[in-house]
Amino acid sequence: MTLKVSHRWGGSLAASLFASLFQAAPPAAAEEKAAMLLPGSINDQSWNALGYSILLALKPHGFTTAYTENVADSDEAEALRGYATQGYNIVMGHSGRFVSAMEQVAPDFPKTQFIAVSGNEGAAPNVMSIDWNNAQFGCQLGVLAARMSKSKMVAGVYGLEGVPNITAQAGGFRICATKAGAKVSILYVKDMEDSAAAKEAALSLIAQGADVITGKLNAAEAGLVQAAKEKHVYVTGRGVDQTKMAPDAVLTNIVEDWPAMFGKTADEVKAGKLFGNFVQYGYDTAPVTGGSLVYDADKPFNPVVPAAVVKELDDMAGQFKAGTLKVEPTREDARGGS
Amino acid sequence: MIEFLAAAIRIATPLALAALGGILSERAGVFAVGLEGMMLAGAFAAAIGAWATSEPIAGLLLAPLGGGVIGLAVAIVAVRFRADNMVTGLAVNVLALGLTSYLMRILASGGRPVSMRLPLLTALPIPALSDLPVIGPLLFAQPPLTYLTALGCLLMTLFLNRTQAGLTLRATGENPEAVFASGGHPARVRMLAVIACGAVAGLGGAVLTLQQVGTFTDGMTGGRGYMALAALIVGRWTPWGAAAACLVFGAAEAFELRLQSFGVPVSSYVVQMAPYLIALTVLAGLGQSSKLPAAIGQPLPSTR
Repeated sequence: MTLKVSHRWGGSLAASLFASLFQAAPPAAAEEKAAMLLPGSINDQSWNALGYSILLALKPHGFTTAYTENVADSDEAEALRGYATQGYNIVMGHSGRFVSAMEQVAPDFPKTQFIAVSGNEGAAPNVMSIDWNNAQFGCQLGVLAARMSKSKMVAGVYGLEGVPNITAQAGGFRICATKAGAKVSILYVKDMEDSAAAKEAALSLIAQGADVITGKLNAAEAGLVQAAKEKHVYVTGRGVDQTKMAPDAVLTNIVEDWPAMFGKTADEVKAGKLFGNFVQYGYDTAPVTGGSLVYDADKPFNPVVPAAVVKELDDMAGQFKAGTLKVEPTREDARGGS
Repeated sequence: MIEFLAAAIRIATPLALAALGGILSERAGVFAVGLEGMMLAGAFAAAIGAWATSEPIAGLLLAPLGGGVIGLAVAIVAVRFRADNMVTGLAVNVLALGLTSYLMRILASGGRPVSMRLPLLTALPIPALSDLPVIGPLLFAQPPLTYLTALGCLLMTLFLNRTQAGLTLRATGENPEAVFASGGHPARVRMLAVIACGAVAGLGGAVLTLQQVGTFTDGMTGGRGYMALAALIVGRWTPWGAAAACLVFGAAEAFELRLQSFGVPVSSYVVQMAPYLIALTVLAGLGQSSKLPAAIGQPLPSTR
């Protein structure tokens, strides 16, 4: 497909053109340094903006930071190597797909901690993945959607079928919404950033009778919210901004707390420790849960959600925390279609 | 079924506007490879206009300007300085992506990426007609840019076939020497045509920001400019033909989404290829029979 190629081209050109303007000044010697490689650009109002916020959050932990945007698949290893060579203590890749490049580069830089954001595997001694438990939150959204649906038909729009955290969230959604008595339909779109296409996907699901829409997309998530707003159905978003976009339609957002997930690790790396594992945050790792359901600054849910449903969701969180409730979605649970 | 056709029309609208622009450029003899960049710049300008004033109309006015600027860049480089059309087009696509991304960043105050929520252009039902069964809601309750697309096809057809200026434009694409010999200015015609192409394609981009999504994100055209380019070739460089091709692509994409919901036991990645496979098949089927404007891509002699 030409589109992604052209995007990458443009991206890397833009990145190199403007890199000097936006990268932090070269850090002085003997400082703690953290760098991040991003698959897209930091002003996508979504996934990559989130990545940038992780980097900013490391500053209070005493790190000097730098980043590179629009890193193409084929450039990952070289970009990782570049920062590691410059003595960065922490080199992060803002996508699970960085793991394999990290495994390839890491042995040459035994003192550098490589971290794949939202990856699902680690490699000793110094490649780690950090993610939040998509299955738990997907499951909660499934129950919420089923309870709020009048037609008892709910739907999800996702990208990147088969990627572990997508499977976890989409599968968790289907398992729990089905258990709560709703019919579930799942669609995969080809571009996590294409809002217009995601909106079309949502509209097609709404036309088939779905009246609560969820999803895990990047910039394209806005398309789901827009579709729900126009068709007066409910939707779940990925940030408080989306509540502002459609306060009546948005039920809640999964707000990911990457700074909290990273802060602890960063401090330990600074103290000389290295990690080679996969760390997954969730209700069972409180107080840092990795994510939380947020409607706006002071409410977890839209006021239209009945108190009984809120209690049911809170109880689920409690069961996840206690370990009495576990959701382990498979590819089959996350399949496209109904 | 109505819903399916409505989806096809929605998906086709930005493509069709861009293709209309591309026809102007190609019929005048300049390959419209830069459509993607023109759309993106138009989408961006539209977003800025609507965002700054909270009026989608302001965005609508700015969109042709955004696309036109990219058109001007192509005109200067490819027509005035006679550079290769393909390379120029690809280069402005990259330029538009970098530039819009950079400008978004300038807007971001204090390093915080800007979050844009734009008012959308709403549907304007045409009285009486929109009450007709089936075709009423489908054809006569559309947002303004969709009507404009249909009107654009009509006006463009009349312009190309029934006006002196249209004849000169077509002649410039077929035989610029003849235009020059009869006292015309082929270089000027081509430059104007390419700038106009940018302006119209810019409106195509505005469909995305002002009529569908309500925000601007980097690279949001996602290859639609290339689909438009394919559509205008499939449509044999005629406005209605290109619009029909866009509808076919739109229908293919709408069908792809619905196919997935039926739960076909095929990977979503395969299903998602369908619209592109259709485009390729149609293009291959047309093969040699799709005749290019004779002088397309040929630089004008430097004296003209």
